Formats: sequence, C-alpha cells, structure tokens
Amino acid sequence: MSNQPTPTPDLPAPPQVAGISLAGTKPYTISADENRALCESIGVAPAADGTAHPIYFYIATQVGMGMTVAGLCSVCEFDVEEGPMMASSKVTFSRPLVTGQPYQITGRIVSLVRKPSRKLGVMDMLEYLLELSLPDGTPMLTTTNVWVLPRRRLA
Amino acid sequence: MKAGDTLKPFRIASVSPEGMKAWAKFLHDPNPIHLDPAVVKAKGLGDRVINQGPANLAYLISMLQVAVPKAQIESLEVRYVDNVFGGEAVEAGGTVKEVSADGSKRRISCDVWLRAEARGAVLTGTAILAAPL
Repeated sequence: MSNQPTPTPDLPAPPQVAGISLAGTKPYTISADENRALCESIGVAPAADGTAHPIYFYIATQVGMGMTVAGLCSVCEFDVEEGPMMASSKVTFSRPLVTGQPYQITGRIVSLVRKPSRKLGVMDMLEYLLELSLPDGTPMLTTTNVWVLPRRRLA
Repeated sequence: MKAGDTLKPFRIASVSPEGMKAWAKFLHDPNPIHLDPAVVKAKGLGDRVINQGPANLAYLISMLQVAVPKAQIESLEVRYVDNVFGGEAVEAGGTVKEVSADGSKRRISCDVWLRAEARGAVLTGTAILAAPL
C-alpha cells in the first residue's frame, strides 16, 4: 500500500519523502546525570531503580535518529527557521527505558501531506515513525510524531 | 480505581525559562523561541519564551506516574493544542475511562490533558497504563 497521499487540487505537490530512512548512526544512551537533571527541571525525583523518565521516548528517538530537526525539515524542503510546530505524538512502550543502556534507533518518514489551512494558508503535515530497541533488536518502543510545516509562501 | 475517577493533578506553578535552557540541551535543539523573548516577539508569537512541547508532555507523564504509582505506561497519544509560555502556571490532569483485568495486571485507560491557567488546554490525549492487581 502506498504512503503517498492524494494531491490536493490547486496546490503544488509536496516533496516525495515517504520512506526516507531515519535510522540512527550510533546508539543513544540515557545518561543517569541527565535524567536526574531532567527530573529536577520538572519537579520530580528520579527513579531509584535506574528507570529513566518516560519522556525519553521522545528525546532518545529525536536525538538518536539519523537527522537533526533542521535536517529533517530540510529533506522536506522546509527551512527550520520558519517554525515547524508539533501536532501530535503517539508512543507504545514494550518495556520501560533505563539509564546507562545503549539503544539503537530506526525509523522512516511515513508521509508529507499538503493541505489548505485557515490559519496558515497552506501547510504540510509531516508524519514520521521511530523505533527504539536494544542492540540485540529487542523492541523497546515505537513512536509516531506529526509536525505542521507552515507553507505561508504557497498561500 | 474505577471509571470516572479523577487523577491527582500535577501542577507547575511557574514554567521556568531556565528549565527551557536545560531542555534545549536535552533535546539538542537550540531553537531560539525557547531561549530568547526577542525572537518570540519578532516572530509574532508573543513576548515570552515558549516551552518545548516535549517538556509539556513530561509534566503530563509525571502526573500519570504520581497519580497511579507502580503503573507502567503502555501507550500514550497526545495532540499539541497550544503553546506554554515562560512564567505560566500549568496543571496536568486526567480522568479514568475504563479499568479492566488482564492476567496479573489491571489495564487503566484515561483521558489526559495539560491546561495553562486562565487559557485552557495546551495538550489533550489518552493514555493506557498497566498496574499490578
């Protein structure tokens, strides 16, 4: 089944980016010190058993994927300075994340859908999927994020 | 815990601009809208720094951890509805939709949210937790 959406009439087609790999080039390890600092920043105590704050589902996959935020935007022919906006996030955990454990990240762009927007004029909805696993391939989590890329110049 | 129960709220009295500097490092994302009010103003987005979306989500997750101790998050889905600005008070909360037994666990489905004081929802979503019976 194709992930390419049906083009919206009267708008130029968005870049064809579905399927582009977001696999990380090196493992990501949640530092115990950083986890402690992160927990302090939101007013909670870090877990005593080495479990990392679950928000590392987002941090580990974003930092560990094969592109920076600016790079991901660039692939979509969008300048990060124009302000991508987070629209939604979804995560399914197989196991809790822990500090000190190297994780590998794989993933891909799912779709880039262009549509008219009352607020922005024109926008692209970028959906990408990332999976985090142990080095032996044991799955830890799957997450899907959707960003809005405003295309004001197309309005 | 049963359907209709309210989850204990988790409140941040004032979202810290210093915290945003720390999150910029955690996320490896130096976007200046999180660091410099002048940039926020120049972009027409307000006059205070804007908190990172994942930090807002972390408040909501911490609410779940405090409200349902010993539970693991199985899944979580949220929509980012609005920004949170430096100095704002926010409160995360939720209600239980359904509780079911599954072997040695109980599965708890919840509606969840993060609200900015005086402005309303900034995050909305659903969560499924697994807790020991």
